[in-house]
Amino acid sequence: MDNYRFKYFFKKRIQILFVFLIILLLIPLLKIFYLQIIQFDRFTALSKNNSIKIIPIPPKRGVILDRNNIILADNKLVHSLEIDRASFSALPEIQLRLKNKLNIDIDTDIANKKISYLYENTVPISFNLSDKEIASFVAHQYLFPKLSIKQRFIRDYPQGKSSAHLIGFINRINDKDINSLEKENLTNRYLGSTHIGKSGTEKFYENLIHGSPGFKEIEVDAKQNVIRTLQEKKSIPGKAINLTIDYRLQKIAEKAFGEKKGALVAINPKNSEVLAYVSQPTFNPALFTNGISHEAWSNLNDKDSRAMLDRVVAGLYPPGSTLKPFVALAALKNNIRKPPFSIFDIGYFKMPRSSKVFRDWKRGGHGTVDMIKAIAVSCDTFFYGLGLELGIPKLNKVLDDFNFGKKTDIDIDGEKSGLIANKAWKKKKLNESWYAGETAITAIGQGFTLVTPLQLANATAKLANPSLSIKPHLLLSIDGIKQDKQEVKEKKQSYSDENLKWVKTGMVNVTKEGGTAAFLGRKSNYQMASKTGTAQLFGLKIDEEYNEDILPDKLKDHALFITYAPAINPEIVIAVIVENGGHGGSVAGPIAKKVLDAYLVNKKL
Amino acid sequence: MIKVLEKYKKRIDIPLLAITFFIIFMGLVTLSGSNLDTSNIIINQVINIFVGLIIFTILIFTNPRILFSYAPILFLITIFLLILVHFFGVESNGAKRWLAFGVFNLQPSELMKITLPLMIAWLYQQYQNKISLRLHFTAIFLICIPVYLVLLQPDLGTSIMIALSGFLIIFLAGISWRLIISSMIVAILSSPLIWINLHTYQKNRIINMLDPFVDPLGTGYHTIQSMIAIGSGGGFGKGWGEGSQTNLNFLPEANTDFIFAVYSEEFGFFGVLIIFALFLLLIFRIFILANNMQSTFSKLLTVSLGVSIFSAIFVNIAMISGLVPIVGLPLPFMSYGGTSMVVSLASIGIIMSLNNHKTLIAN
Repeated sequence: MDNYRFKYFFKKRIQILFVFLIILLLIPLLKIFYLQIIQFDRFTALSKNNSIKIIPIPPKRGVILDRNNIILADNKLVHSLEIDRASFSALPEIQLRLKNKLNIDIDTDIANKKISYLYENTVPISFNLSDKEIASFVAHQYLFPKLSIKQRFIRDYPQGKSSAHLIGFINRINDKDINSLEKENLTNRYLGSTHIGKSGTEKFYENLIHGSPGFKEIEVDAKQNVIRTLQEKKSIPGKAINLTIDYRLQKIAEKAFGEKKGALVAINPKNSEVLAYVSQPTFNPALFTNGISHEAWSNLNDKDSRAMLDRVVAGLYPPGSTLKPFVALAALKNNIRKPPFSIFDIGYFKMPRSSKVFRDWKRGGHGTVDMIKAIAVSCDTFFYGLGLELGIPKLNKVLDDFNFGKKTDIDIDGEKSGLIANKAWKKKKLNESWYAGETAITAIGQGFTLVTPLQLANATAKLANPSLSIKPHLLLSIDGIKQDKQEVKEKKQSYSDENLKWVKTGMVNVTKEGGTAAFLGRKSNYQMASKTGTAQLFGLKIDEEYNEDILPDKLKDHALFITYAPAINPEIVIAVIVENGGHGGSVAGPIAKKVLDAYLVNKKL
Repeated sequence: MIKVLEKYKKRIDIPLLAITFFIIFMGLVTLSGSNLDTSNIIINQVINIFVGLIIFTILIFTNPRILFSYAPILFLITIFLLILVHFFGVESNGAKRWLAFGVFNLQPSELMKITLPLMIAWLYQQYQNKISLRLHFTAIFLICIPVYLVLLQPDLGTSIMIALSGFLIIFLAGISWRLIISSMIVAILSSPLIWINLHTYQKNRIINMLDPFVDPLGTGYHTIQSMIAIGSGGGFGKGWGEGSQTNLNFLPEANTDFIFAVYSEEFGFFGVLIIFALFLLLIFRIFILANNMQSTFSKLLTVSLGVSIFSAIFVNIAMISGLVPIVGLPLPFMSYGGTSMVVSLASIGIIMSLNNHKTLIAN
């Protein structure tokens, strides 16, 4: 090939080549055109998806206050020890060094936490550092470059173990909570939240005190480090709620209980505001906030003390003689045993057409007893006969009027309905027929009947103020705004003033000389209407004697006491149960009296 | 001084240099826009450009006859270096590509991009009047040696580049179309054999080219992030230094192999068109120069060097736009890195040197 021919040939080949290169270059150009112009929206979205994250800001939980603004549940600023997200894998080693060098323990259950604190650059590993711990950490910070101290809010219960059942507690949101939130379509409100109310007011008013989350739009890099905040919408804090509770009374009642187990409920009979709500023994709600240890949990669920049980609404007790005023009212309403009718009590009641005998609590009997005295001295003999004549259906009708055997629908979780037994119930439950003797003992509050302390207090309030049509409640105000009381819907049952007067006179006489709690009345400068009760926990055989001294504690009788005061125009109603306390008047009565004194006499305690 | 500049001016092709500088400038702009500790990178890149320009200057003052006469020796030295790599190379990511020389690392395969075309052009110049099938096969054999050595490293991308630059010369030197077509058929038929011999990571790359979204966090991650960067740039881009894919580290190797994705994200399709126009102008200018040269050696070498640059541009852009698998290839003149910059500038220097001495080695 000579040079001239080659040049011509070469020119042709590079022309072909150039055209080929242009075509070749068009391919990526078209691809880039497709990406940048046609698919622009898609890739913009993907790019934002990459770098822009929307993270929820959990709301601050509302505080819970008593009626006088004493704080029951609050949010406390604590110092937390935090680890850089990126160094999370080094945690076991850091944990060991922290323990060895500074003697600081970190919280277990960390794996969960890392998820909870997504898109925060640090994750808490220990809450609530003490001043000493903070000082020693700061001094040795150079040893732990991956750790830092931050401030966070945690739920705080300044009253400690006091009023725990009323206040309740919060705990980490678990799968069960998520399921129920999904059912109620509330999951959006819990974005970013780690805790939820699990019991008591914290649970019942969860919707009010939880609040709504805000949102923060942040830019993150490929390693999910937060670069900057693009925009922020503040969270709406939960509402502060005032309970109807008067914490002073609460405290006095708890102190009066001491180590004893039981419950006390105080209600204002004018509006059914619950003034005191005590269940003993109690627990420390703060234990639950960040997951309770297995050991602490089993301690709380100890079979004998059952500290977790909210005895006010879920403790079921035989009412004993505290049921007698209501039984009396049932009889009077049906024109049975109306004064001046009286019996002569010789210490026992013999069942008609039977050799079976029911003893009175007082050996030798009370002598001549009419309805008023029967209540004042708690004469069992009088009520055995009364019950038999009245019969279960009529008795139950009145007990139902007073809301026994069904929930009061108070605004707290876990309420039980108690039990008002009848023939049909016994047949169904025990497949046994009803005996006349059971009617007799039902009339003195034994038998199958089970009540909650709240039911007792509620019924007493209805007795003290028959026109009361508001159900017992705990919520007083939301963010300082008073709430409408919810009226009880059922038809009002009327009791004649005369019948009520007899029963009430009987109850007033309980604390007068000769009454079962006369000693309470001696020191009282106001008049109270009360009824003592002693609920037997195990059936004594016929003629067997009950001897308090030789019985083990857990088989001892429950002591009960219901009262309202002042007897005229009552302002407060109290029901007290002391488990295994023995006699109602002497054990439960003084506890109630202290609360009454505080409320009526030392108002500015 | 003025005389020196005058002399300098005579020896360079102003349009080609202007285009080259413009592209280099765009690269620097893109690099300095990213806020990932750029200060060092910019200084280093300026040093790279400076070193490249020294070599460029030396080359334009070099008589191409020297290049011509040393072509076989340079080729043999590069082959020797490639063999050295095989035994003493620095290993990274499972591939041996570099020779460590204390202060700098040399990548002989990059050198081969110049010395192979040099060798093949020499061959056709030397036997200009006896071009035959036998000469073509000799050329093919010479191409196969470095291609094989680079494949061993393994470095599929560079070996393909080297092969292309060599075969291109054979094409320009007058191999018949019949032969071209038949060899293409052989290549297609042998592709399954190549597939079997590929490394797992190379296979993965080819698989995600077909669909990167199959494994978005694994093998497809780089391609997807690069496509997101380009696509989200839109018509006019997010603005200089505003590329979120780049600055937030989603884009891998943003300063080196993926610099074009950064550029596309920040300057959009409009910017892409400008760069494409510049690349095309660059090749066009090189082809014009080649066409005006007199000797076979000069023509063949110039086009081959030009196409080498073009191939690197094409493969890099095809790679970052998700058209071909990710092969680890820098974008000439724009990517951060010394070897690529020096080799690219040296290529331009050789072209200008050949252009200065149009007649010197003409027959």
